[in-house]
Amino acid sequence: MLLGFQAQAHEMTPAYPKFELSYIDGVSVTKMSLFNRRSEISYFEIGVFTKDWKKIPFASTSKLIKVRYTKRYPFEVYVRNEDLDRVQYICTISKILKGEEQISQIASRICSKVN
Amino acid sequence: MIKKLTSLIFLLSATCAWAVNSPINGLVQANCSIYTTTPGEYGNPSPWKLSTTAADGGAEAIIRVDIAAADYYRTKFTHPNSFSSSPTLTDGVAWTGSTTVSSHSVSGMSAYEAAKVVVSNTTTYNMTLAGSTWFKVASTASYGSADNTALPAGNYTAMIVAECIAK
Repeated sequence: MLLGFQAQAHEMTPAYPKFELSYIDGVSVTKMSLFNRRSEISYFEIGVFTKDWKKIPFASTSKLIKVRYTKRYPFEVYVRNEDLDRVQYICTISKILKGEEQISQIASRICSKVN
Repeated sequence: MIKKLTSLIFLLSATCAWAVNSPINGLVQANCSIYTTTPGEYGNPSPWKLSTTAADGGAEAIIRVDIAAADYYRTKFTHPNSFSSSPTLTDGVAWTGSTTVSSHSVSGMSAYEAAKVVVSNTTTYNMTLAGSTWFKVASTASYGSADNTALPAGNYTAMIVAECIAK
């Protein structure tokens, strides 16, 4: 019931991000970059998880980011130092706006691993 | 005089012959790209059934995964077990589906299919080689407890989730 179109891609780097101290006391930061080559997708949600996929609180410019087609979006993820040992994955997942006609039936999620 | 002038012209022309290097830099990082090559389409071969099988008038989703460095990622594909949008349904839907490797850029990737792990509606592949792999995701939804309840008319959408997770 839906249509086909040209290849579209979602990618995120680095695969293994490293946290470092931020300018905020007790908070560490890592830098990530997302590249959107999915023309039908403009929004991605950032998530930070434990090894058991439990959510960990974090801060970024926005948890739901708008990334235009063929644009690279650098973003920072801030995590409290007390949560740092539990952080295993930083992920981005493509999102479709509610009410928007769904052109895509495929949600893409990419997760980097924090060692 | 002519000799001196010729030497001078030669020297001047030689000093003007500059070559400027203009490098193009590139960085290949260990990364994973998920390409939605074909998003898939449900056919409606009978009033109570939606299917991506070509024989049923549908098209299976094709997802390409590019891995830039060997053995850094696992990929997971979750075929649908609910509609993300549909008309109001008053009866249950029975879901089936599968994920298979349909093509690959490196011959060693042919081993991926035998080594895949299927848990419920999720199929996991260990991406041990760098290169491109195409995965085919099939989905079927059968409506009603008996095969005699027609699906209400309207648009149906079900979501496949394709994931790339660093190991």
